[in-house]
Amino acid sequence: MKTTLAFLLFAAAATAAHAQTGTPAGPAPVTAASGRCGVCHPAERVQFERSRHAPEGVRCVSCHGGDDRSLDAGAAHGARFRGRPARQDIPRLCATCHADEAQMRPYNLPVDQYALYQTSGHGQRLARGDRQVAVCSDCHGAHEILTSRDPASSVYPLNIPQTCGRCHGGPAGPGARRRSDVLKLYRSSVHARALFEQGNLRSPTCVSCHGVHGASPPNIGDIDKVCGQCHTADRRYYTSGGHAVARGGNRPECAACHEAHGVQAARPERLASSCVLCHEGDARRLDLGRRLWTDYRTAADEVDKAAALVAKADAIPIQTEDYHARIEEARTYLREALPAAHSVQPEVVASFTTRARAVGQEVQKEIQGKLANLRQHRYVLVAFWFYVLLTLFVLKRFRDQAARNR
Amino acid sequence: MNEPGRQGPPARQSWVDWLERRVNLSEIFSFITHFGLVYTPVDTQKPVREVLRDVAAESVPRYAHGARVLGLLAAILFGLQIVTGVLLAYYYRPTPEAAFESTRTIVRDLPGGWFIHQMHAWGSWLLVAVIVLRLLRLFWDGLYRAPREVLWWCAVAMTWVVLQSDFTGRLLTWDSHTYWSTVRGLEVVWAIPLAGPVLAFLLGGRTVNEDVLIRFYVLHLMVLPAFYAGFLYFTFATLRRVGLSQTGPARDERTIHYREHLYSMTMLTVGLFAILVTLATLLPLRFHGAADPYVTPGGVRPPWYMLATYVLLQRLPLPWLSGFVLLVASVAVLLLPLWLHGDETRERRLRIRLAGAGVLLVWLVLSVLGALLERR
Repeated sequence: MKTTLAFLLFAAAATAAHAQTGTPAGPAPVTAASGRCGVCHPAERVQFERSRHAPEGVRCVSCHGGDDRSLDAGAAHGARFRGRPARQDIPRLCATCHADEAQMRPYNLPVDQYALYQTSGHGQRLARGDRQVAVCSDCHGAHEILTSRDPASSVYPLNIPQTCGRCHGGPAGPGARRRSDVLKLYRSSVHARALFEQGNLRSPTCVSCHGVHGASPPNIGDIDKVCGQCHTADRRYYTSGGHAVARGGNRPECAACHEAHGVQAARPERLASSCVLCHEGDARRLDLGRRLWTDYRTAADEVDKAAALVAKADAIPIQTEDYHARIEEARTYLREALPAAHSVQPEVVASFTTRARAVGQEVQKEIQGKLANLRQHRYVLVAFWFYVLLTLFVLKRFRDQAARNR
Repeated sequence: MNEPGRQGPPARQSWVDWLERRVNLSEIFSFITHFGLVYTPVDTQKPVREVLRDVAAESVPRYAHGARVLGLLAAILFGLQIVTGVLLAYYYRPTPEAAFESTRTIVRDLPGGWFIHQMHAWGSWLLVAVIVLRLLRLFWDGLYRAPREVLWWCAVAMTWVVLQSDFTGRLLTWDSHTYWSTVRGLEVVWAIPLAGPVLAFLLGGRTVNEDVLIRFYVLHLMVLPAFYAGFLYFTFATLRRVGLSQTGPARDERTIHYREHLYSMTMLTVGLFAILVTLATLLPLRFHGAADPYVTPGGVRPPWYMLATYVLLQRLPLPWLSGFVLLVASVAVLLLPLWLHGDETRERRLRIRLAGAGVLLVWLVLSVLGALLERR
């Protein structure tokens, strides 16, 4: 008993001691990471102390050199002082830590960014001496570098379009590389609506298709692979179909019908209208597109009609659980029919639309049968009223008789 | 005829005679006279056969005749509602999770369940219609005057009880439309000054949830029917004292035998039942799906009898004003006999009728506005 008590006391004391000496909450280090540089550079100090680097032992001198313990400008900017790093040197400078497996392992960060950057459009142009291309600090910032999970970060998914758009987004701006409306197009797209309006952070931004550090436009022939990362079913049917095996440089890829940056929500009726973009005057192929759409629409109509009947039956109500399941089954076929249309083979699409239509018609027929059964109540009602009138007549006779006897 | 209590010879006796010696059947029979099925009191000293013979030959006014039928219908419909209501209560479960499911089970899966449900639903419509028409008729014929004030108060109270039964019964199905109709209706009730907050407290708060449901259930199944039966009894007891109304032509006021009245009652019941069956079969009330307190379907209105106050609540600048109007109107109707005592002249009666018709017209116009109201 005594031992237990002593142990408990010891444990409590140890916990209290730990609580006192434990590291304080928040990222702020005990000593300023900016050393004494902040005395003359207060704005940079404030930015840097907020950054992800500050609490991790990165100091001003890590990038700029010099001596952060001295208050004398000459001594501080003395030996091995680098000053502002030149643009072309920045990737290599960041890579001294970020390409070092030993330093990055505790943070579980990848170390291939520098290698990827060198393969990117940005990196290759930089190697050729173009100083106007993006380097690390253009996207991540210089002093106030935050993680990509921080909503204030310039590389947080919601902020990526604006970050890339600083150079690629429009005609204005001193650093503008290309006069382009890709940012405007992207903001009008279904992807951007999912990102900004629905807050879906998994919705693709610039880097989802172009790569992050190895950013470059997808090659001709690779677009279906890029889109297929998410749209797997569509790509599976596309690669099995006629468009994918077309020879030469005029092979139509996803963007041929759906646009590249301004991609809109897929509407089934465009099955009928998209073919004319390439096949104008080719009646056979235009008919094929219209047939895909007609197949889909007739099947969808049958399923809608069945669903309306189920709703009507629910209001009575009659047993419809099974029909709800079958309507859902039919809708699943319809959903599969749309990716299947990317094969541009009517028989592939028909294998789904026929099933959806059949299920829809079956459900309609069975519910119509049940509703017809209910309508038979009316015939019973006629017989019922016959007996009611008969009863009333008999009762009246009795009443009259009673009145006569009065 | 054997005298009650005497040991008779064992042979040549029916079971009624046997029972008569054990139980005072006349006493038991006399119980139903309280509810007006038999108009006069019976002599409980006589054997039941004799009582029945006497009662059948009793001279009674033509009760099942003309506008008086409305009172009878209110009693018969109440009986039908009790029968169908009890059958429904066997399967109904008063919780938000189970209410809609159990109602749907009754209507969809139980044999004849749809019939019982629709009979009860249409029965409530007819009962409300009959009770309101009866009130209008009593007003029109001036039947609130001495010595019939208590009858008028009973009629007003029965109207209140029936409307409340209808209102509480709507919620029980927990169907999305009836649920939101109740929510809108309660907004009107909460707006009554003083009484509104008290009612809100007694009914379990301003949110229509499981607390409100179980209170409505208890009100609908126990409290309100008990009150209705009580007022019914009060009405018949008062009628035995002050007599039936004498409003029609003289030839309609001749008396008949109770036997004839009984046949008329039976015919009335059969006819009413047939009408209910027809309505339930041809125009069954529809289901809209289980209520979701977070999703309001479009175009929901409170029950029709609340539309007039609803439109006032929605459109008047002061919300309590509509509740005040409701309160004043109901108290005024109840106190009508105290106001309008005095000599009955032809001119005065016409003025009162015109005033009543005017009030009714305003109420109807407001109700139509309420039905067409787009919610802000």
